[in-house]
Amino acid sequence: MKIQFQLAIALLFITSFSSAEMSKINDQELSEVTGQSGVYLTGEISINEEGGTLDDGYFGDCADANLVCGARLGFQTQENGGWFVLDNIKGSISFEGLTFQTREITSGFGGDGALFNQTVLEIGMPENIRMNDFQFTLATACSDRPTENCAGPGPGPGGVVDSKFKQVDFMTVEMSGEMTLEGNLLVFPTP
Amino acid sequence: MSKLIKNLFPQFLCFMIAPVGFVNAELTSLSDNDLSEVDGAGIGLVMDDFVFSHGNDTANDKTFKISGLTNSNGDAVTVNVNQLYIARSGSNYGTNLEGVNLGRLDNPYEIDILDGDSIGLTGEAVLQISTSKKVDLADGYDCLDVSAVQGSGECSSRPANTVWDNAGTPEVWQNGERPDMGLELELQDGINTSNLNFNASSAVFDGSYVRLWGDETEVNNGKMAAEFRLNFYTPELEISTCSQSNQACGSSIKMQDFEMELALGNTFQPMYLGVDNITGGLTMEISAITHEYIDNIVGGVSDGSAAGNTAQAFFEDYYQNEDYRSNIVIGDLDISGTNLGSSKIEGMLIQYVDVKFRDLAL
Repeated sequence: MKIQFQLAIALLFITSFSSAEMSKINDQELSEVTGQSGVYLTGEISINEEGGTLDDGYFGDCADANLVCGARLGFQTQENGGWFVLDNIKGSISFEGLTFQTREITSGFGGDGALFNQTVLEIGMPENIRMNDFQFTLATACSDRPTENCAGPGPGPGGVVDSKFKQVDFMTVEMSGEMTLEGNLLVFPTP
Repeated sequence: MSKLIKNLFPQFLCFMIAPVGFVNAELTSLSDNDLSEVDGAGIGLVMDDFVFSHGNDTANDKTFKISGLTNSNGDAVTVNVNQLYIARSGSNYGTNLEGVNLGRLDNPYEIDILDGDSIGLTGEAVLQISTSKKVDLADGYDCLDVSAVQGSGECSSRPANTVWDNAGTPEVWQNGERPDMGLELELQDGINTSNLNFNASSAVFDGSYVRLWGDETEVNNGKMAAEFRLNFYTPELEISTCSQSNQACGSSIKMQDFEMELALGNTFQPMYLGVDNITGGLTMEISAITHEYIDNIVGGVSDGSAAGNTAQAFFEDYYQNEDYRSNIVIGDLDISGTNLGSSKIEGMLIQYVDVKFRDLAL
């Protein structure tokens, strides 16, 4: 997986000429630190646009139509069971204006804000988000890797099935172009 | 900022903070029983002024399609998603996209770890993901009425343009917490093209949750157990075959005052979602209800023993508990202009499910 991540963050490095010993900040001191201006992110995430690093007869270069060139994520909900799979993940997502900051809410929200009266973590959705040939396949499979056999042979539809790797692809979703995604996700602890 | 970070750290980062240096004790894994003692605060989530929309539109260089489906002849069927949207109520089939809130600050969507002992799952730690909870009648709003006022129902989410009292001055809460949602599909099967659209207005999901835990009993071999409760209320759910440019066409099924309370799995009959390790197919199971003293039930009643009485009390509670039952109520059903009145399915108890998906190529 190739990931390009360009962060438009001004990183401030402070070099110190003093040699004072470092000391812990206690809770009281921490509680007096006020909110900062937050972080503004612009970036592009590219996943297997040309293919991954594997070339094993199942995965390979995107130029070869017989091979799967996208990334594969699998997870299991039963010990020694089969796998839920997000297969052939490829393409890129670019965004501008994803923000992270704290926000003190004391009003608004149809009267809820004044009663809430707390500070929350605010994740601002990007002003622009664009998919470029992004796609993935939803599937289930008998084993995590296509190069491994199933637990069979065993009972299956129409009799006994062999132990050859099997995957049931449900659908492939393909997305491209500018997407509308607006709003802020507010995150806070609940009692 | 610091107070918030202090509060969120225990949930986000508690196991990332390693004690340094002074203790050499070996780390041991936490058992389900240990975890079930944890009574941590949850994480509240509210989407403020939220809008989502994307759709297939070749003229504007947008693609959104679903492939990998075939018809009965094995030919490929492509599904173009003309629009998928979530926006403020009054969107007119997703054409007027304004921001809506999802969840309220005092009753947010929530991710939480529950002590299983308190919900009938002794010794288990349960992950719960929930929407806003239902509230007392005095505080809530009617779940269907787009003009609902406080005290009219049990839903916490408010309709768009709710009027609230700001110290004696009436103010309008435009966003509300009830979104319009829609999925507009265009199916291409060879030279044939047809449309299938689902649009729901002012939708409410209050009281919904999913609970997940690990079932480590020998018979279930470490399966992920789940309990789903999906509540869905909308004043109008419309399923149509209209083209995208004419969503209000007459070729539609309109369900007014649609209420669905779907219970899949419960404490005694969890739902198991998994994958078969031989065929690779999806499996969905809900085991039949049983009790350790079921043999002491004869002809549907206790055999008179203490064990039989215990079993009978258990089954009576099981069959009377409304939380285990599903309901679907349609206030008014209209098919292409023909009104069929109201329809109801109430008190449906899902007793047993064993579904296995398989690839037709097998």
